Amino acid sequence: MRTEVGSYVYGVVADPDRTGDRLPDGLTGLQGASLRLVRHEGLAAVVSDAPLEGRPGRAAELRSHGEVLDALAKATGVVPAQFGAVLPDDDDVVAEVLAPRVAELTDLVEQLRGRVQLNLQASYHEDVVLAEVVASDPEVAALRERTRDLPEDAGYGERVRLGELVSRALEAKRAEDTEVLLDAVVPHVDAWAERGSAGGVDSLLDVALLVPLSRVAEVEQHLEGLAEAVHERIRLRLVGPVAPYDFVGGEGWA
Amino acid sequence: MTVQTQRRQGGGYLERPAPSGLADVISIILDKGIVIDAYVRVSLVGIELLTIDARIVIASVDTYLRFAEATNRLDLYEKGGKDLGELFGGMQEGGASSKTSGAVKGVKKALSGGDDDEERRPARKSSSRRSREEA
Repeated sequence: MRTEVGSYVYGVVADPDRTGDRLPDGLTGLQGASLRLVRHEGLAAVVSDAPLEGRPGRAAELRSHGEVLDALAKATGVVPAQFGAVLPDDDDVVAEVLAPRVAELTDLVEQLRGRVQLNLQASYHEDVVLAEVVASDPEVAALRERTRDLPEDAGYGERVRLGELVSRALEAKRAEDTEVLLDAVVPHVDAWAERGSAGGVDSLLDVALLVPLSRVAEVEQHLEGLAEAVHERIRLRLVGPVAPYDFVGGEGWA
Repeated sequence: MTVQTQRRQGGGYLERPAPSGLADVISIILDKGIVIDAYVRVSLVGIELLTIDARIVIASVDTYLRFAEATNRLDLYEKGGKDLGELFGGMQEGGASSKTSGAVKGVKKALSGGDDDEERRPARKSSSRRSREEA
């Protein structure tokens, strides 16, 4: 065993010897390394050789990690491992990754089988919603009139008050519109999770959606319809399908 | 990476950035997935992590001033010269603007009519990132 090379772990799939699944051909991993499977009790970790020195990684390696997992997710389903894990050898992959949680991983592999993730973000067209706020609140309209023509160093108190009213009005709008969007999306997916990115004041949604691969086109079409319905006020942005990075927690399934 | 906000091919309003920019890739992958107690970790060099946009909005005077400025800058006459009254159907009183409520109801109606009956929402899983931030 060459001591300077370890096993980089991408994720866990169901052992294809048991399922008869076909894994994608010609898939390579970090630094172009070839992939192999480390099998244990109906599971298989997807790994490749990687240096053990722990040299810093680059964007290309993060992308490779993602490309391997996205391809596996689309082919059969995969439980993604966090980026960056290198173990000393394949025996350690069994001992540290697979054996200690056979039951948990078997459940997860089954839950995520044939499923992929879509990431949906929604944000306001700021000018449109600000105009709504001005139109609906006479105090806001009045403060706006009073402060807009003042020089920058005047009207401080009124500007703060104006901003505070607008901020609160936007919070109320966000709460309502987020609810409408989620009600329109969630019944069409198997599971959803907040991604929790701090998207700024115009941000309404940043969610991960778990969808069977066979239904991706249908869900995308539905989201296109939603985007059109709301486009005057809200922009929707969709990334994916990708591997189900946000659904490895195992709890929260119906 | 260019992102269009107009209708794109196929008549879609849904933005589909392709290929994914590095910020998206990092946001999608980093710290997501099962945790492995690894012997060695490949970690991204710091400079690439700076593309993660951590815009944490704190309700503060600075935020309010920014909102005031944005509200003041609004050109409410930009839509074909209509004045505010026409634009918002003469809605002058306080409370939710009728156009807002109408737009929201329109979405609900458009999307619930003909679709499957709305079932109970699938259980929501908290992402590992969110749990970690709360810890």
